[in-house]
Amino acid sequence: MLKKSRLLAALLMLCLVFPLVAQGQVESAPAKEIELRWASIWVGNDSKAPAVEALVAEYNAKNAGKIKVVIEPQPDYNAYEQKVRTSLAAGQAPADIFTIKFNPTTATFYQSNLLMDFAKVMDASWKQTFDAGSLEQSTVDGMLKSLPMETAILPIWYNMDAFKKTGITELPTTLDGMFAAFDKLKAAGITPTSQMTGDTNAWTSMIWFSHFAVSLGGTNVWEKSFTDPAFVEAAKLTKRMITEYSTSDAVGLGAGGSGGHFLAGRTAVFSNGPWYAGRADLAATPFFNSIKIAGLPAAGSTKDFMISRLQANICAASSKDKAREAAIVDFLKFLTSAPSISKIAETSGAMFAIKTDYRPTKALQKQFYDVAVAAKTTAFDLEAALGAEVTLEFAQQLGALALGRISAEEFCALVDRKIER
Amino acid sequence: MKHTYTPAQIIANFLKWILLLSLLAVALLPLLWLLISSLRTNLELQTNPFGWPKDMQWVNYAKALAMASLPRLLLNSAVVAASSVILNSAVTAMASFILARERFRGRDVLYTLFTAGVLVPVISFMVPYFSLITKSGLYNTLLALVLVYTAVNIPVSIFLVTAFMKSIPKELEEASVIDGCGFFKRFSVIILPLSRSGLVTAATFCFIYSWNEFLMAMLLTSSIESRTIQLGIKFFTSQFITDYASMYAAVVITIIPSIVGYVFLHDKIIGGLTAGAVKG
Repeated sequence: MLKKSRLLAALLMLCLVFPLVAQGQVESAPAKEIELRWASIWVGNDSKAPAVEALVAEYNAKNAGKIKVVIEPQPDYNAYEQKVRTSLAAGQAPADIFTIKFNPTTATFYQSNLLMDFAKVMDASWKQTFDAGSLEQSTVDGMLKSLPMETAILPIWYNMDAFKKTGITELPTTLDGMFAAFDKLKAAGITPTSQMTGDTNAWTSMIWFSHFAVSLGGTNVWEKSFTDPAFVEAAKLTKRMITEYSTSDAVGLGAGGSGGHFLAGRTAVFSNGPWYAGRADLAATPFFNSIKIAGLPAAGSTKDFMISRLQANICAASSKDKAREAAIVDFLKFLTSAPSISKIAETSGAMFAIKTDYRPTKALQKQFYDVAVAAKTTAFDLEAALGAEVTLEFAQQLGALALGRISAEEFCALVDRKIER
Repeated sequence: MKHTYTPAQIIANFLKWILLLSLLAVALLPLLWLLISSLRTNLELQTNPFGWPKDMQWVNYAKALAMASLPRLLLNSAVVAASSVILNSAVTAMASFILARERFRGRDVLYTLFTAGVLVPVISFMVPYFSLITKSGLYNTLLALVLVYTAVNIPVSIFLVTAFMKSIPKELEEASVIDGCGFFKRFSVIILPLSRSGLVTAATFCFIYSWNEFLMAMLLTSSIESRTIQLGIKFFTSQFITDYASMYAAVVITIIPSIVGYVFLHDKIIGGLTAGAVKG
C-alpha cells in the first residue's frame, strides 16, 4: 500500500518537474546585452521569412554583445491577432516588436500606453525613408504607434489566353464591354470570374466590391454611410458577378477554392495581391506568362485609381528603459532601411511603404509595380477602411444577397449597422 | 438449424447495413481524403481536390518533419499531454472521491461549482490565464500549458469520475472500514482501483484536448522550445499562402499518437463511458 502511495506521489512530482527539465535551455547572455523579442508573422511558409531571418542574423552579428533580436514565430495569423488583442487587454505588449494589420479595428490599439509613439522618436531622415501617404494613414490623432511596413495593391488578374480563345486580345475599357467579354467567355465554356462569399472577408469578391464602390463613390467613399447609392450599386454589380459570371460554388467558397478555380484555368479573371504572384503552383500553370494585371473598367466617375492597403504595420512596446527604447528604434531603423527592404522585396515580391530603388525583374511582379506607379490615386479596400467586424458582416450577408434572400438595399443596411461612428 | 429470413427481415437487414456503411463512410472518408491529399501536390489539391495523386509526393512528409521542427514539437506535445493527464487524473481522483463518497455541508454546491466550468467557453479564460501565467513567470514554458490544460479539463473530468465513483456500492467501502481501512486506504485501495475505467475515460478526454489544443498554446508560448505540435501544423499557413500538402502530411503525423492511444485504450474508454449508464 505504502509503495502505491509513494508511486503516486513520485508520478505527481514527475509531472511537475518533467516539463521544466524538458523545456529548452535559454542561452545565457552577457549582462549588458539587450534582448528584443520580435513576434514575427514572417516565418515558416511566408515568402518574406528567409530574408527577414537573414537580416536579423546580420543585425545581431553587427551588434553582438549589445543588442540581440530574437524572432518569436507566429505561424497562424488569425490566432496571432487574437494573441495581440488578449495581451493588450491583459495590460502587456505581446512582444518588444510586433506587427498588426492596420485598420479601424487595430487603430484602437493606439489608445494603449503600452505602444511606443514613433512620432516622438522619429527624426527627419528616418521619416523621409517612408512613403508620406502611408505614414499619414498610420497616424491617428497625431500619434504614430505603428510604422507602415508592407503595403499592397489589390488589382484584377486577367488570364489573356482565355480571352484570346474568344477573340479578345485587349482588355475591355468600359463596364458594358467587360460584360460583353464575359458573355463571350461563357459562350466559349469558360467561367469568367472567381468569386467567393466564404471565409471571414469574402476576399476576392470584397476586392471587386471595393473597386466598384470607389469608382462609383470616389476615393473617400468609405467615409459615407454604407446605405449610400454608391454602395447599393456596387452591391448590385457584385451580385451580378457572383450569380451570372462566377462558378456555381461561389456562395460559401473560400479563398483557396476561388484561387484554385483560376489556377486550374476554370475561370479567366481573378483578384488578389502581389504575394500571390510568387506562388510555385501559379508559375506551373500554362497561362502564367499571359496573366495581365490591371484595374477594373470604371463603374462610376472615378477612374485610374487602384485599391490598396497597409498590409502590415510594425508596433513596438513602450519602455521606461531608455536603452531598450533606443535599441528598438535602432533595430527598426535597420529593418526599414532601403537596403533591408530591397532584400525582402527581392525574395518575396512583396511591396513596401519604404522608398527604395528596387524594381522586380520577374514580369508578373513587375506588373504590380507598374500598375501601382501608373495609378493616379489609391483608395483602401473595404476591410482596410472599415475593419474586420464590418468585413465579416459583409461576407456573411454577401451570400444572402447572392442567393436573393435580401435586396442590395437590405444588404447595405445590414452592413451599415456594424459600422461604428 | 438454418435460419430463414422473411422478406421484411431481409429489407430491414439491408437497410441496417446501408445505414452502418454510410456512417462508416462518413467517419472514414475524411481520414482517407487527408491521407491521399498528403501525398499530392498543392496544384493538384487546388485544381482537383478529390483526385488521386499523379505521383506520390512523399517529399511532403520530409518537408513536414523538417520545416516545422515537428520531432521537437511532438516531444513537447507528448510531455505536455502526458503531464496534464497525470496531474488532471490525480486532482480529479481525489476531488471526485470527496464529492462522491463523503457527506458534508455544501457538497452539492461545490460539485456544481466544479462542473459548471463545462458550460464556460475556454476563450473567455484567455485574458485571466494570460495574466496569471505571465505574472507568475511561467510564460513560454511547458509547465504553463500543463497547468492550464489540467485546469481546463477538471470540470469534465470531475463530472465523469464523480458519477462513476457514485455508482460503486457503499457496502464495499463499509466492509473495508470494518477491516480497518482508514480514509486514505478507502480511497487508494478500494475506490481508486474500482474507478479505473472512469479515470481512463476522463484521462482520454484530457489527453485529446491537450494534444489538439491550439489557442492557449499560441497565447502562452513564444518559442519552439515550449510550443506544441498543433502550432507546428500552422507553420505551413502564412498570412496569404498555405502549403496544404505539407500541412496535411503534418496532420497525418500528429494524429497517429491519438489513434495509437485509442487502439490500446478503446475498451476502457467505451467501458468507462457505458459503465455509469447501466449502474443505478
